[in-house]
Amino acid sequence: MNSITTENLSVAYEEKLVVDELDLNIPKGRVTSIIGPNGCGKSTVLKTIGRIMKPKNGMVYLNGKDISDLSTKEIARKMAILPQSPQAPSGLTVGELVAYGRYPHQKGFGVLKPEDRKVIEWALEVTKLSDLETTAVDNMSGGQRQRVWIAMALAQQTDLILLDEPTTYLDMSYQLEVLELLYRLNREQNCTIAMVLHDLNLAARFSDHMIAIRGGNIMKYGTPEEVMTAEVLKKTFRVHAEIVTDPRSGRPACISYDLIRDEGDSV
Amino acid sequence: MSTACQVYKRKVYMRNTAVASAGILLLLAALVVSMNTGYTRLLPSDTFRILFGGGTDAENLILFQFRLPRVVLAAMAGAGLALSGCIIQDISKNPLTDPGLLGINAGAGLAVLLYVLFFGTTTFMAVFTLPILAFAGAGVTSVLIYLLAFKAGEGTSPVRLILTGIAVQAGIFALTTVLVINLDETQFDFVAMWQAGSIWGSGWKYVLALLPWQAVLIPFVIYRSRMLDVLSLDSSAACSLGVAVEREQRILLACAVALAASCVAVSGNISFAGLIAPHMARRLVGPRHTVLLPVCALTGAVIVSAADTFARVIVQPSEIPTGIVTAVIGAPYFIWLMTRK
Repeated sequence: MNSITTENLSVAYEEKLVVDELDLNIPKGRVTSIIGPNGCGKSTVLKTIGRIMKPKNGMVYLNGKDISDLSTKEIARKMAILPQSPQAPSGLTVGELVAYGRYPHQKGFGVLKPEDRKVIEWALEVTKLSDLETTAVDNMSGGQRQRVWIAMALAQQTDLILLDEPTTYLDMSYQLEVLELLYRLNREQNCTIAMVLHDLNLAARFSDHMIAIRGGNIMKYGTPEEVMTAEVLKKTFRVHAEIVTDPRSGRPACISYDLIRDEGDSV
Repeated sequence: MSTACQVYKRKVYMRNTAVASAGILLLLAALVVSMNTGYTRLLPSDTFRILFGGGTDAENLILFQFRLPRVVLAAMAGAGLALSGCIIQDISKNPLTDPGLLGINAGAGLAVLLYVLFFGTTTFMAVFTLPILAFAGAGVTSVLIYLLAFKAGEGTSPVRLILTGIAVQAGIFALTTVLVINLDETQFDFVAMWQAGSIWGSGWKYVLALLPWQAVLIPFVIYRSRMLDVLSLDSSAACSLGVAVEREQRILLACAVALAASCVAVSGNISFAGLIAPHMARRLVGPRHTVLLPVCALTGAVIVSAADTFARVIVQPSEIPTGIVTAVIGAPYFIWLMTRK
């Protein structure tokens, strides 16, 4: 069962085609990572799935339904998207921002009902922010701020969360913290996670599926063991990679790599 | 909920109540002082006596026909401009923008200028047609800026909106300068007064002209508080939360234009109120619109009615345009605001 399916998806910026007839699946209840070089269209794919960008051609299905048939609010109750380094207005507190996550579930003036409060408290708790509820978001560190946005996405109570490079600008311990949180959400709440990640080893360690993209096309789709191979990384990133099995996680890891020279641009 | 959180919420509630009460008191004070001052001085006790029906004919005329409509109009214009500024700052995600950015002042000014150029200032009809013309000029300019900033498939980005606004305004100002050369002295004086923001239309009919706009737009905008909350996040975050971003922005921008244009049409070009009132309100009560919008309207009303009173007092028995007073108060406040951050 797939949470998201795309069919012949093409996306263009002005006239420049970035994604070309892409067929992609994001399986339900799993963690899926999209990897690929800069400018390969991976963020564009995520934004199009999340209806932030309109496709030029093709379809996106959410739980088997064409998203262009669903109202944007309906989609917001099923899918949350965390943009890359989002901004909050200055002075907004953690509790207030997380409460915005209830927006798609509310009507009228949006007075928070007891069940909304319960969801917000839960979202703050799992992201370890309960003590920071009254802190202004713009006074927080990057890692804390990222957790606040994740908490807002959680308060949306969706089965699917899309994240665009959730670990960017974070140091190594914060990166791990964010990914472990997402992994726990997936395993404990059965939340489907799909994210764009730059760090291949972290992607391999925390994902059930990986999608390698280059030039708007899928190079390889499969388990981390299937995607993290010297051959796939050569096709995707144009590098010679040395892949070993991480003794701690049992997942493949790239320990070193070199640029490919003198081979032209053909694969 | 933790006790620390409850304490915080009580503090916020008390702060908001204090701010709102202070705002209302200040506004009342501005109204009373404004009614007292002018060529014929009336004491506050006289004002109350006349208000409650104990005045002579002359006193009644001064208070009910000259002063009351003017101060009510000043407060209404201030509230409208402040709300408009708040919405525009949220949508453009730029705290330095104001209704002028959407070409409202420039467009309205051009329309007024064209009218004066072709029909002169003495026409009796000017009183009735000018507000409508100014409104039309503002509306056309705003739509033009929006269309020029619009890009198929991507919508309008805040930066593009701001840059287009500046470019179109520059064009209109150039055109205005060229046209002003052709004016005679009376025409020039009239246009200059309008540009400087003199609350020239100070009869009840102007209040009545402005009232329906505000009676519809202000509740409509306040009803959309939550939408504005979400829209003041990233546009992609707002989209994720289920807001049809482009459509909502368009609706709210149209409201902002209508609010500001209807004010500018009757009050002239009052600068800085739409820029500064939202800033003050945000500093006082934070970014949540359910509280921010009413406080913002109140702040705007206080600023403009106080400025208008000041404008009438400072060079008695003559007066200076209100827009100049708001600019004189506004510019230093703004510089102070920027050096603080």
